[in-house]
Amino acid sequence: MKILVFVERKDGTPRRVSLEIAAKAASFGETDVVGVMGDRYSPIAWASAVAERARSTGAQLVLMGATLNGRDLAARTAAKLGWAYAADCTDLTPKDGAAEATRPMYAGKVRATVRVPLPAVISVRAGAWTLPAGATAVGVSEIAPGAADPRLSFDRFEATASGGKRVSLAEARAIVSAGRGLKGPENWKLVEDLADVLGAATGASRAVTDAGWRPNEEQVGQTGKTVTPDLYVALGISGAIQHLAGMTSSKVIVAVNKDPDADIFKIADYGVVGDLFEFVPAFTDAVKKVKGSG
Amino acid sequence: MRFLVCLKQVPDSTVRVRVGADGTAISTEGITWSISPYDEYAIELALGRKDADPATVVSVVTVGPARARDALRQALAMGCDDATLVNAPEDLSGLDVARALAAVVSELRPDVVLCGKQASDDDQGLVGPALAEILGWPHVGMVTRLSPAADGIDLWREVEGGHEVWKATPPVVGLVHKSEKEPRYPSLPGIMKAKKKEIPEKTIASLGVTPTAQRVEVLSMVPPPQRGGGKIWKLDGDAKGVAEQVARALHEEAKVI
Ligand SMILES: Cc1cc2nc3c(=O)[nH]c(=O)nc-3n(C[C@H](O)[C@H](O)[C@H](O)COP(=O)(O)OP(=O)(O)OC[C@H]3O[C@@H](n4cnc5c(N)ncnc54)[C@H](O)[C@@H]3O)c2cc1C
Ligand SMILES: Nc1ncnc2c1ncn2[C@@H]1O[C@H](COP(=O)(O)O)[C@@H](O)[C@H]1O
Repeated sequence: MKILVFVERKDGTPRRVSLEIAAKAASFGETDVVGVMGDRYSPIAWASAVAERARSTGAQLVLMGATLNGRDLAARTAAKLGWAYAADCTDLTPKDGAAEATRPMYAGKVRATVRVPLPAVISVRAGAWTLPAGATAVGVSEIAPGAADPRLSFDRFEATASGGKRVSLAEARAIVSAGRGLKGPENWKLVEDLADVLGAATGASRAVTDAGWRPNEEQVGQTGKTVTPDLYVALGISGAIQHLAGMTSSKVIVAVNKDPDADIFKIADYGVVGDLFEFVPAFTDAVKKVKGSG
Repeated sequence: MRFLVCLKQVPDSTVRVRVGADGTAISTEGITWSISPYDEYAIELALGRKDADPATVVSVVTVGPARARDALRQALAMGCDDATLVNAPEDLSGLDVARALAAVVSELRPDVVLCGKQASDDDQGLVGPALAEILGWPHVGMVTRLSPAADGIDLWREVEGGHEVWKATPPVVGLVHKSEKEPRYPSLPGIMKAKKKEIPEKTIASLGVTPTAQRVEVLSMVPPPQRGGGKIWKLDGDAKGVAEQVARALHEEAKVI
């Protein structure tokens, strides 16, 4: 089987999820690993390029990372080709003319195994497949974007005041998230300090993003990001069902909440009942020490 | 400007979803249905434009079973002008839903079509881009804001670290991620008005759509693995001691730091 793997790049470097997919897809068949030239994602131009490549090479399966742009591109490409489509898969295996895949449904509240008939376009979640040691680069064939639609043009980028400096939530291996228990944006430094020693991304509950303490893009949950890091630290988050939907698949969950009955403790591997303002600075020091001792 | 918001009725976000007896679908017994959250944001964004310019018309449409009429009624009560129900089986594929919606678009001729970025039942995010593709229109994903512009509309797209602003000369499809304001609640007069409005019903056949697309078949469905039974500490004035124990557990036991 021929598989087309689309590699997404950020500042010229392939995203980790793209490398994960390229490595795994090689075990399914012959891969054609491509990147679209240019920095700014444009749905029509990129989808026509990828669709054309898939058609001309006889690919049966198109794979890409389930990132913001990847999901968008996969959907438009699938529609352009009229192929089957599945988003955000956490695993997949080719089987009898189809791809059998697992994917979350109902905002992450259930996991489904689905049969996607081939040909198909499928996006795969970051971390679904482990990157083999040393597979830090991949040979990419460059393809040119198709024509853009003149009715739509990029005008400008407006940076979020506090965003963009850290590793992205979707790909982070550790995340420190805070909720309303943090009391106000002036206390965010506590979160940052802990995130710094853990090498973590920062996230937030919707209470925090709605209050404008943090930018939207940091929201974790049903209407925010779904994340699956190795370590998720929830500070002053009650554990509403919509928040849990976005983070229950994290490998290890640490919760800090002063309310012993908070729902977040029901899914935590390590829980601390108490005042986060007392605990977090001490924890930041303790992590520093543990990491220092190797 | 004319807006058309495509909405889907899904289990309310507070529903504790359970897998049904046959293990391939959820149990819908006794559950509360709502407008999918991102579609609610889409309605709010469109109504925000209508607040600013009363000449704006906001239509809503859904493709689905008879119960979806309640979702349309809710949208009308929020302030939308008219609603269309396209009666269709629930298991219609995303591509076929998009075909049906495209037929409605050619009848209503909106300038801007808004969809949610994904419906919170199948979590696919296919219908919006597919609709745009069928119509031959451009689309913008992750939309969080709309602002009027000289000869069209600006769509704000949330990306890492900020927003891209895209200038569109309609027609255009926007896939909505969030609205600036929380979706409004229906007002009492809104509810009364909505009750009186007629909701025309169409069928996919009357729109010339015969289901053709290959369906993604659910083979099995399971709840996420149960968690819990975690180790709990009480601070009891010893933040330093507890912090050291947690850090050590993460290092030695969980091996994540
Ligand atoms: C359609 C829909 C979609 C939604 N999507 C999302 C989503 O994507 N993500 C999301 O997060 N929410 C979402 N929500 C909102 C969700 O229902 C909750 O309202 C929200 O998650 C609550 O945020 P929180 O836990 O920060 O605040 P709260 O529920 O107010 O909890 C604050 C917690 O902090 C604790 N606390 C207070 N002070 C301290 C202290 N000093 N030390 C330690 N702990 C302290 C309290 O005990 C409490 O448990 C959604 C809701 C709806 C209806
Ligand atoms: N049956 C439907 N009727 C109307 N709009 C729909 C329907 N299904 C999906 N949509 C729209 O397409 C978006 C994405 O849905 P999906 O591709 O199912 O994740 C939704 O948020 C809706 O705006």
